Amino acid sequence: MFDTSITFGQFIQAIIDTLYMVGMSLLVGTIIGLILGILIVVTRPSGVVEMKWIYGILNPIINIVRSVPFIILLVAIIPFTRGIVGTSIGTTAAIVPLIIFISPFIARLVENSLLEVNPGIIEAAEAMGATPFQVIWYFVLPEAFGSLILSLTTATISLIGATAMAGTVGGGGVGDLAIVYGYQRFDTFAMVSTVIILITFVQVIQSIGNALARLIRRN
Amino acid sequence: MITLRDVSKTYHRKKISTEALKKINLQIEKGDIFGVIGYSGAGKSTLVRLVNYLERPTSGEITVDGKHLAELNPHNLREIKKEIGMIFQQFNLLESKTIFQNVAMPLILAKTNKQVIQERVTELLAFVGLADKAASYPSELSGGQKQRVGIARALASKPKILLCDEATSALDPQTTQSILDLLKKVNEEYGITILLITHEMAVIQQICNKVAVMEEGNIIEKGSVVSVFGKPKHPTTKGFVQTVVKNELPFSIKTKLKKNQQQKLYRLDMIGDHTMESIFYYLFHTFQLQVTVVFTNMTEIQDSVLAVWYIQVEGEERNKQQAWSFLVENQVNVEEITI
Repeated sequence: MFDTSITFGQFIQAIIDTLYMVGMSLLVGTIIGLILGILIVVTRPSGVVEMKWIYGILNPIINIVRSVPFIILLVAIIPFTRGIVGTSIGTTAAIVPLIIFISPFIARLVENSLLEVNPGIIEAAEAMGATPFQVIWYFVLPEAFGSLILSLTTATISLIGATAMAGTVGGGGVGDLAIVYGYQRFDTFAMVSTVIILITFVQVIQSIGNALARLIRRN
Repeated sequence: MITLRDVSKTYHRKKISTEALKKINLQIEKGDIFGVIGYSGAGKSTLVRLVNYLERPTSGEITVDGKHLAELNPHNLREIKKEIGMIFQQFNLLESKTIFQNVAMPLILAKTNKQVIQERVTELLAFVGLADKAASYPSELSGGQKQRVGIARALASKPKILLCDEATSALDPQTTQSILDLLKKVNEEYGITILLITHEMAVIQQICNKVAVMEEGNIIEKGSVVSVFGKPKHPTTKGFVQTVVKNELPFSIKTKLKKNQQQKLYRLDMIGDHTMESIFYYLFHTFQLQVTVVFTNMTEIQDSVLAVWYIQVEGEERNKQQAWSFLVENQVNVEEITI
């Protein structure tokens, strides 16, 4: 019925690869991004624990990494990737640049979410005699939770786009399928179906993110 | 309970420095409901934040409950903050937590036993009249209810002092009244000293026993509410007092009097609890004077009454002089008024 050279098994494998890359890099990226994001919020001038030197180092580093396009980052850090996972080709190897790409992005999103929290809440916390850790843990994070979920949703969708580019280092996944079969072999069915899969991914993730955020904010 | 000695606060922003407070001296005794009034920008918001060290003074000394705040290390400073509750104009409740959790927050921070938290929060919610709202979220509450939650939260750590930062300014008059009643109850039942800042003289009138008036970083007048309301000295204070004490001659009466200026007009001012009847009885009978009251006003302040009469008097000059001496002896201020 369809004129295609891809097997059903390849589709399944591609989807699994994409989910694996997105999942792993999201997990590690969220941890790093949260830590970085919290650090730049609390150490910024007039932050909860103002420390200009930490802010002064982290802020430009985040900007520098964020200004490198992912496709360039991917190749530029090949020696680093090889040093960490032993190879520069394959799905696992793609995760290293994905993490480096997404962590500063998440850090910025986290920063925005945390800065949205009503400063009055922080003032109330400080008036209660909360320690800086308590201010973040009991006041800022719970208040920003809904917004953080939406931020992570945005980050996840960015990651899906980035995994497609990871195909160029043999990363596998749905994007790889689209490039190798759909583009290089003029397989229209492969192209169309991978795009549909990607659209479905994005739609599902965005809907889940919105629903979770709504649940948390109880609006 | 709270002492500020020569306290100044200067903000530096982009090489421009603003003096928010200029050598402030203030003494707040245990059990006071002390009101600080001023227009926005007068420095009252900075003043209240100095007491729990949300802001640090540029110079001067602040003592709370006998402790010099500047000498405390961060840990001890956090400990003393637990003795100072604070409520805010915008309530500053956690939107993501239930009313119960909001009130419990100071206790959670202090790592209080769960059983104790349960009991204490239940008691506090009952005290502020929100026992049935424990499981609600702040977004489901009205402004007045949110401020009640704020008060319950501020009381959770059993403070000795409650700071109120424009606590009723975002509320309608009726709700303001109920919050003021609650604050008075906090003061009376728990013996908590209250320092409140406001721009509404009615708030001062209703619950404060002492007042300080601020303008441009200075305290321009302070004293007991009755004395400041009764004899305001500074023009700004007079302006504030006149928002609640309508003791000036209304315009329509002035116009009428101008047309007929043969008779002298006197203003009698009185603070206290003597009754009007006996004074006028003496004017009529003892001094044989014929008194016409042109305008009068009485304002209740604390447990006292502030009264003013504008009167015209007919009778013998000698009797008038005797009458005025009699009134002055009875703490009634007499003044001849020209319109």
